[in-house]
Amino acid sequence: MTQYGMVIDQERCIGCQACSTACIEENNVGLGQVWNRVLTEGGDSIETPSGSYPIDGSDGTATLSMDFQPTACQHCENAPCVKVCPVNATYTREDGIVEIDYEKCIGCRYCMAACPYNARVFNYDEPEHVPAEGTGNVPERSQGVVEKCTFCSHRVEEDLDPACVNACPADARIFGDLDDPDSTVSKYVDKYETHQLLEDLETSPSTYYVRGKMTPGRQRVGTELEGTARKDVSLPDGGDRQ
Amino acid sequence: MSDVATDGRFGTPGTVWIAALAVLIVAGLGAWIYQLSEGLIVTGMDNVFSWGLYIMLFVYFVGLSAGALVVSSVPRFFHSDRYDSIAVLGGLLSFACIVVAGLMIVPDLGRPSRITGFLTSPDFRSPMVWEFLVVIAYGLFSAGYVWLLTRRDLAARGSRLAFGTADTEAGRERDRRLSLWAAAVAIPLALGLAAIDGWIFALQIGRGSWFNPLVAPMFVMKGLVSGLALLIVTGVLADRYTRFELSDRQVPELGKALGVFIAVHIVFLLGAERLPHAWAANFEFWTITSSFLVGDSLYFWLWTVVGGVLPLALLAVPSLHKRTWAVVAASVLAIVGTVFEGVNLIFTGYTDLNIDAAPGVAVGRDYTGFGSDIWATAGTYTPTVVELVVSVGIVALGALIVTLGLRYLPVAPEKTAGFGSSGGKPDTAVADGGDEPTGRDK
Repeated sequence: MTQYGMVIDQERCIGCQACSTACIEENNVGLGQVWNRVLTEGGDSIETPSGSYPIDGSDGTATLSMDFQPTACQHCENAPCVKVCPVNATYTREDGIVEIDYEKCIGCRYCMAACPYNARVFNYDEPEHVPAEGTGNVPERSQGVVEKCTFCSHRVEEDLDPACVNACPADARIFGDLDDPDSTVSKYVDKYETHQLLEDLETSPSTYYVRGKMTPGRQRVGTELEGTARKDVSLPDGGDRQ
Repeated sequence: MSDVATDGRFGTPGTVWIAALAVLIVAGLGAWIYQLSEGLIVTGMDNVFSWGLYIMLFVYFVGLSAGALVVSSVPRFFHSDRYDSIAVLGGLLSFACIVVAGLMIVPDLGRPSRITGFLTSPDFRSPMVWEFLVVIAYGLFSAGYVWLLTRRDLAARGSRLAFGTADTEAGRERDRRLSLWAAAVAIPLALGLAAIDGWIFALQIGRGSWFNPLVAPMFVMKGLVSGLALLIVTGVLADRYTRFELSDRQVPELGKALGVFIAVHIVFLLGAERLPHAWAANFEFWTITSSFLVGDSLYFWLWTVVGGVLPLALLAVPSLHKRTWAVVAASVLAIVGTVFEGVNLIFTGYTDLNIDAAPGVAVGRDYTGFGSDIWATAGTYTPTVVELVVSVGIVALGALIVTLGLRYLPVAPEKTAGFGSSGGKPDTAVADGGDEPTGRDK
């Protein structure tokens, strides 16, 4: 079995929003909607820290703190959105990706009530794009349906990494099969201290976050998915194998 | 008057009332068509506050419907005919309210044309599927129940609504026994309906205080309070304006039951919900007490004061609780106040985000170009005129169902001394132009 998942190293994340922008473009997300958000943990607005400057140089009185929290659909194994969807429009694929059948969606928005991460958006209006014909490689979703991050399933099916992974200049995102013990994501989850968002809610997200100590990162060549034939060069996973 | 009755027409006030309802229904339909053409963008909802007035009223009318049926069928279940005068009215209100509730869902859907998905690809893990099935079953059942209670009287009148049923002594006896069984089904079905209504919310971990085992019991109790209150108000109004009659002594009796229901709802259940948190999170006696008693939102106060404290006070004062006006006032307060239980619950779920770091969530509307602020870190909601007009239209349809039911169904099985006619007022089947109670026997 395959269980696709992602590791995001928050210590590597520089808050550049490249993943968010790449996501919008690749997935043809309408203006005013965002699937993949890079939140700022710190001050009251984006890219501002909490706390205050030191009184006198490095006298130890500085309390400034700022972290980035990249947040999109967590692709939970125990996904509340899947369980509440009355018409099976939101479902879990064989490979663990939580996806929406836009043909079935009746737009009741129960999934939005169920999702603790606010990962879902609804097309209240007719989606607009610039350019008008849209961008990227996914057809536009109609007005009246709910949509969200798909782990770029259309790319994964073509053995390509999701657009956000590809776009990250800090190598903070790693995508792969959590069921394969040799995949980089599995090794990261195994080796580094990771946590899942809102773990207490027992949704078992397939997205893991590294906090505290920065991982060595993974050099990437090309856009291919790890473990595929096209990616014959196995690359460092931050440890055991070179 | 009797010519009017045989024509099936209404008197002048009745005609005005029906015309007013028709205007509201047409306006609601128009607003809904407008909403269909524009999409849910014409509502006040967004990606953070994604359920609004339609769902708030849906949960409310489900409660009303369940409560009205339970209250009116329980006496029959215990072989008592003391409240037979309100049995049909309760069933009628229940049917009208479930129609209103069911219709409230439709304008809430982004793509109502795909509603058939409930039947073609249901996921039985979803509480909404449970609720959908129960609402359909319950709607059919309450219609059948009203018919069962009235079909012999309809046959006696020669009404086509009897659908071939004959008015015989044996038949009446059999229906009486059948209605006991029907009541035995009605009660658990109605309680289940109200409970599932609560579980739509109570099963959700992602919305703060929704995930609470007491939501379903409270929704059941809310249903009993509001359903009984609606039954009292409609009964008194129908007694005054139609040929329906409610016995003098029944109003204070029903009021007493309403007082008990409100006490269980607001004092016991709400207390049981709040005390553990208040006690565990505070140390001093007075901070525990204030945390227990003092709510933190306007809707909480509207619900508990208007729907709890005030009606309870009216019903508890010895010099008042036997007076019809006091019972009716308490009922109206309870009907209005309990609306805000669902409103309060939905607001508590959507106001705060679990992850509220800046910039928050893209609200998904009002994008006006580069640089526009599309973000929110907390939910806010005000219903739009479109939502209000659609909702009022649907409620008006419910009122029309009740009005027509009172006009064309034999709602009061036996002639009793109605208090509306006790003041020497001629019992002229006032507003609805209907036939007099005795007219049924001809």
